Amino acid sequence: MIQFTEVSKFYDNEAALTDINLTIEKGEHIYITGPSGAGKTTLLKLIYAAERPDKGTVSVAGQDTGKLKQGAVPFLRRTIGVVFQDFRLLPNVTVFENIALALRIHGMDSKEIKENVTDVLASIGMKHKAHEFPRHLSGGEQQMAAIARAIVSKPNVLLADEPTGNLDPGTADTIIKLFREINLRGTTLIIATHHDALFKNTGHRVIYLRESKIEKEAVD
Amino acid sequence: MNTLTYLFQTAVKNFWSEKWMNLLTVLTIAVGILIISAFALITLNIDITLKNWSSGFGLVVYLKDNITAEEEGLIKNHFKKDPDITQANYITKDQALKGLRQTLGSATNLLEGFESNPLPSSFELKIKRESLTPAGIKEKAERLKQLRGVEDVQYGEKWLASMDSLSKGMKILTVSLGSIILIALAFVNYSTIKILFYRRADEIDTMKLLGASRSFIRLPFLIEGLFIGLSSGIIALLALFGIYAVTTARTAELIPSIKSIAVFFPPAAYPVLPLGGALMSLIGSLFAIGRIKY
Repeated sequence: MIQFTEVSKFYDNEAALTDINLTIEKGEHIYITGPSGAGKTTLLKLIYAAERPDKGTVSVAGQDTGKLKQGAVPFLRRTIGVVFQDFRLLPNVTVFENIALALRIHGMDSKEIKENVTDVLASIGMKHKAHEFPRHLSGGEQQMAAIARAIVSKPNVLLADEPTGNLDPGTADTIIKLFREINLRGTTLIIATHHDALFKNTGHRVIYLRESKIEKEAVD
Repeated sequence: MNTLTYLFQTAVKNFWSEKWMNLLTVLTIAVGILIISAFALITLNIDITLKNWSSGFGLVVYLKDNITAEEEGLIKNHFKKDPDITQANYITKDQALKGLRQTLGSATNLLEGFESNPLPSSFELKIKRESLTPAGIKEKAERLKQLRGVEDVQYGEKWLASMDSLSKGMKILTVSLGSIILIALAFVNYSTIKILFYRRADEIDTMKLLGASRSFIRLPFLIEGLFIGLSSGIIALLALFGIYAVTTARTAELIPSIKSIAVFFPPAAYPVLPLGGALMSLIGSLFAIGRIKY
């Protein structure tokens, strides 16, 4: 379970989030939406401890991320998969190595790594791209590779920041289907997006952020 | 492949991907280590040469012509009691004259003007190496002069003083210059690793976000720093040996005895340069990476 209690975050005295109260249950599929600068990315960052709250508490699986010691942060992050808006793929290694990195960080041996990476690449239909470098991939393929890296270690929570941002509708659909499958396996899924189409009529909870506050909460 | 092997491979890959910058760093550090080790080798050779020469060094105690047997006995007794004196050879007046004749060779006619043997009898003393300090020998010579029956005491005062100050000077120069160069080299390594660290800042950020531990991020850089130091030390050692071999061979053409005098570091000391280089680079790298914050 992820819980935000009276959370505020400021950047140079400018509020990025103000008095946020939010509970996300284990296995839930939830969307965070709102215009640019509403605080969607900050909210995700607070979950994987890339930012600490200036006020209030953020609790992830019972751990207060604000009080987490530096040495404990990597262990928290290993339980969370993150799909970054800018993909954050390492440019000088292949798709296979990019995905394998997440497992190497977990200390997995090479045989297991090969099996897991091959499986995940097959599940997203990118097995044939395993030995390509990111610069040779299309935007959609890079996004798929970034998702593969985020899910290969079978995290408890998957965060996706604008996962369909610059993609064509076809690729976006494929990615959303993939997310649904991941969620059905029991992974808590939190997607930050400003594309209404992504969550309309899905029956999932949507949190609307505006000017750093929760404007409303609804099931679309 | 376990994590450690992966990190080692990453370090090798990173080292190769920045080969020109790393090569420049390796050569800079190698030159620095070469300068330090060259000074150390020169100091070692001066020390060994002094040791060899000093085994033949001694004091000559000239006795008065009218010395009594009792006085001679007391002097011998004094030598026996002195722990610094390892050997005392008595040279009679006749032996001294014979020695002089041999030295003069064809010029012995110079001695024809003397009605009697002008040379005094004497004792040639050998002194322990550890006691061969200019101040110690001077003091000893002064004390021996006070003994009854002793005419004069002579020794290579200036030679001893200059050799002693040369040896001391070289040691001070090696230590002080060595320390300065070592700090400079650690800084060179620090700068290189810092630049490499900054160049891979995005990569490091991504690894941090994926949950990489500090050691997972640090180790490839430390291994890279270790490579730099280790290869610099090996290059410096090989270069020093090459310079030593060429220099002794060239000098031997003019002074053949140099081959039996000059020495290189003993084999047991060979690992000191690569390991010293590696250690210094490791320290530089540790400071360059600093504390990784999440």
